[in-house]
Amino acid sequence: MKRSHRRVHRLFWPVLALLVGTGLALALIMRAPPPAPPTVVEGQR
Amino acid sequence: MSVGFKAVHWNREKLIYDAILFAGVVLFITAFVGISYWIEPPKDLPAAIDVRIRAFGTCAFVMLTVILSIGPLARLNPWFRTILYNRRHFGVLTFAVALLHAWFMIEWYDAQGTLPNLLVELTTWSDYGKFIGFPFKVLGAIALLLLFLLAATSHDFWLAFLSPPIWKWLHMSLYAAYGLVVMHVALGIMQYDRNPLIPLLLATCFSTVAALHFVAGWRERSTDRARGSDGWIAVGAPGAIPDQGAVVVSASGGERIAVFRDGTEIGALSNVCAHQNGPIGEGRIVDGCVTCPWHGWQYRLSNGCAPPPFNEKLATYPVRVRNGIVEVSPHALPPGTPASIQASVG
Repeated sequence: MKRSHRRVHRLFWPVLALLVGTGLALALIMRAPPPAPPTVVEGQR
Repeated sequence: MSVGFKAVHWNREKLIYDAILFAGVVLFITAFVGISYWIEPPKDLPAAIDVRIRAFGTCAFVMLTVILSIGPLARLNPWFRTILYNRRHFGVLTFAVALLHAWFMIEWYDAQGTLPNLLVELTTWSDYGKFIGFPFKVLGAIALLLLFLLAATSHDFWLAFLSPPIWKWLHMSLYAAYGLVVMHVALGIMQYDRNPLIPLLLATCFSTVAALHFVAGWRERSTDRARGSDGWIAVGAPGAIPDQGAVVVSASGGERIAVFRDGTEIGALSNVCAHQNGPIGEGRIVDGCVTCPWHGWQYRLSNGCAPPPFNEKLATYPVRVRNGIVEVSPHALPPGTPASIQASVG
């Protein structure tokens, strides 16, 4: 790998990692809550 | 090398590598499908296809993670260079597994007679403005397209046709493909399947790749900073250079120089292989020739020329021994210029 490649690689990697890491964290935080388990009430059909 | 192109330059190591790789993929997918069927047997055909989609998708993601981890691992520990060799076959197989994942997804729609729904999903333009609800399949499709480009141009013909710098830039897009795949999973299955293993696998794989690159890059900073002035660069005592191995130093311009020792012969070559810009200095001397760790291209230590019938040449650098210390000039000689010396190793 030439020096120019290494320089871009070192700049590109942290930026991409930060972007994807932020996206991943947001996707996890903004996940819809799990659906509530169905409750069966006696006598109700 | 330069004599002519063959579809694949097979040798024993590549056959073993590919056999292990293929067996690993078959084992992973069989285990994934087997465990899924054991936990919850599919009720109908679409459910059975869904298991295949997940198995092949997970396998492709893990393979991509491994491919991107091999580079920094090989820089941190020489043992991993054995996996680095023939990495392109790993990449092509990953594309094949990802393609099957996409194929099963189309089959899943087809099995339910809802293939037009896929088109509706991809052309509901208002969804492109959302974060949660973004058409995640598009991210996967773009990543698959990038993987196809990389697999299709992995052969040496394309390397020569495009030239090594352009080829290298093109193949750096693997990082973008990985980012797209991470978001494809994060905005896709992670949103509607509450299995905690999905975010766990995603975060672990992504963090591993990011951390390995960070650590490897951090360690290499010291090599780049240790530049000489306009004068000669001190390498160390002849005995400090491993026999049939190299020490890599950085010239004032920042380009790296690999200083090799073969017994009493010491020579310095450009650290950039003529094939794919591989790190020559991480290779070894095999059969009297400096051998690149990536694909085994070879050069003579004495003059940087590939042995006949090949005609690649590397730039060489003048070396000398002063006060028992090997020094290398930061100024490259024209490729193929004899420059190695004999030195006593104490």
